Amino acid sequence: MRAVDVVVVDGLIKVYGDRRVVDGVSFKVRSGEIFGLVGPNGAGKTTTLRMIATLVKPNEGRVLINGVDALAKPVEARRSLSYLPEEAEVYPRLTGYEHMLFHAKLKCPNNYREAVNYGAQLSGLGDRLHDKAGEYSKGMKRRLLIAIALMTRPQVAILDEPTSGLDVYASYSVRKVIRKYSRESNAAVIISSHNMLEVEHLCDRVAFINNGKIIDSGTPIELMNKYSSVNMEEAFIKAIEASTI
Amino acid sequence: MSDLSTLLWKELLDLSRDYKTILTTVLLPLILLPILGLVGIVLVSQQPATIALVDEDYCESTNSMFNITISSRQVAEILYEELGKRGFKVIEYSDMSVVDNPLVDLVVVIPKGFAANATSLSSTASILVIKRANVQASAMAEQAAREVINWLSYSLARVKIDALSKYAGVEASSEAILSPIITQQEVVTVVGEKAGVEEELKGLLARFLVLALGIVVTPATSFIVDGIIGERERKTVEMLISLPIPLSKIIYSKILAATVVGIIATLSDVAGFLTYIYFTLLVYGVQLMLFIDPLLLVVHAFTSFLTILTSVAIALPFITRTRGIRSASNIAGIVTIAATIIFFTGFIVDYYKLPMNVRMPLYLIPFTHSVLAIQLYAIGYRLESLLHALTLLALSAVLLLLSVRTLDSEKILVAPPS
Repeated sequence: MRAVDVVVVDGLIKVYGDRRVVDGVSFKVRSGEIFGLVGPNGAGKTTTLRMIATLVKPNEGRVLINGVDALAKPVEARRSLSYLPEEAEVYPRLTGYEHMLFHAKLKCPNNYREAVNYGAQLSGLGDRLHDKAGEYSKGMKRRLLIAIALMTRPQVAILDEPTSGLDVYASYSVRKVIRKYSRESNAAVIISSHNMLEVEHLCDRVAFINNGKIIDSGTPIELMNKYSSVNMEEAFIKAIEASTI
Repeated sequence: MSDLSTLLWKELLDLSRDYKTILTTVLLPLILLPILGLVGIVLVSQQPATIALVDEDYCESTNSMFNITISSRQVAEILYEELGKRGFKVIEYSDMSVVDNPLVDLVVVIPKGFAANATSLSSTASILVIKRANVQASAMAEQAAREVINWLSYSLARVKIDALSKYAGVEASSEAILSPIITQQEVVTVVGEKAGVEEELKGLLARFLVLALGIVVTPATSFIVDGIIGERERKTVEMLISLPIPLSKIIYSKILAATVVGIIATLSDVAGFLTYIYFTLLVYGVQLMLFIDPLLLVVHAFTSFLTILTSVAIALPFITRTRGIRSASNIAGIVTIAATIIFFTGFIVDYYKLPMNVRMPLYLIPFTHSVLAIQLYAIGYRLESLLHALTLLALSAVLLLLSVRTLDSEKILVAPPS
């Protein structure tokens, strides 16, 4: 399959009051690629992802999702993407299955059953899928939400800190799901993360973001070589230090 | 439409499992309203009131000309017996020191010279009633004592008139002399048709239905606050608004769900009220169904629906601009209070009777049309009632469209700075 630029982010600027939280962010993500947005707290990762997901309007810049101008046609752009927020929660009185049914009916009303079946498989929740989501552990809730984000096979999946707060096993399981999905569906996946191990092993390309600006980007190997580092954590710290000098 | 039905399905499914909300919205009014009504009746009847009787006259007088004899003891005994029958505790005292006793709510004094004056044709006998200020039991006892004294006075007057007419040798009816002019009453509707007690009860029901509109607004606005700010605080809203559907549909689904809550609340309140009325009417032998007009209930349900839409439309732009559920609830509370003021005045004031220069500015308040739609239907002006319902429909639609247009996902997602 030929890789095409499914996401084009061009010169995004977002200002809250007198603070530029995102300052001229640009990047492209190809189909089948997992793109990591890495930065310290308050760097502008979540705001950038929210602008791509059409939830927050940029003051300047543009976003193309699958060729659709996301600012001009947000609902149309959202048909091609799924977004999992960092702190997403479940409706405690609905079952996991009902969550999937609800999202699938709204995202793909014509083949929602197929989407729910795929989601059930992705979540790995088995019979617990019919329990109320309020009774799930944190890891189960996150698996449910990731399955919901991916079950309709969106061309673009935006996952904000997908393994945030999960233990080692749950994080490993979630990363496996994301990689499998990206390869099988040839979808573009954008993730933000603090976990450098996750970024190193999961992402095809990474962008370091600090103070609302992208300070460097490349494959994990390219970045580690550039900053003469043995791992991504070291490369990240060196990149941040270099940008603040 | 299918998106909206899916969104509504989620809202109602979630609501149907929210047992606490169901309990407080539906079951509590249904059970508590009749209980509170009955408890009120029982409490009033159980309110103890003590009446002291003081006979200072303690003598008997005879008017030999008419052969009438009045004894102050006899009057005291009648008062004792009649007030006792009405449930009051009656105690006889020999002197006025009883006035200082705080346990006594009312003192009835038969003063010296009572019997002589009562038998006289030229003077008036008096009975002194001493009431305690700001004591409910005292007011009730005073009312009862006045009734008994009036009856005594009327009876004595009849005896005197009969004796006088006999003495004068003329035929006279004591009724014609005591009440030469009496009032005869007929009740008709505003269009002149005969109206019975059922018609009056229908009017009472309509007034209650106007008041019940206030009950409708409260759970509905709370539901909207929870549906938007609550979802933000529970961190479920971000994924919801990232779905490929317009934000307006999400808001409409929440408003429709809020309307369902409001209408369930009002049906429950009305059912509770009717249950209370049913028990009360059993005493008077009036059939409940005689004054229940199903169409009036339909008008009420329709008006409730529109009233909820209007309340929510007014509160919505402010609710979404607040930081948390507390401040959003305060805003919803302000809208609810404004609406309740109108509905309360609608309970005691006939809005359609207000002069036009008063009514015109009130027309700018959408809730005025809610009151008029019900009041005008209840008195038989169906077309006018429909016109106000349609005005309310138009106002709620315009307000809703305007308020939804002011929203965007960013305002819902990002709490404004404090």
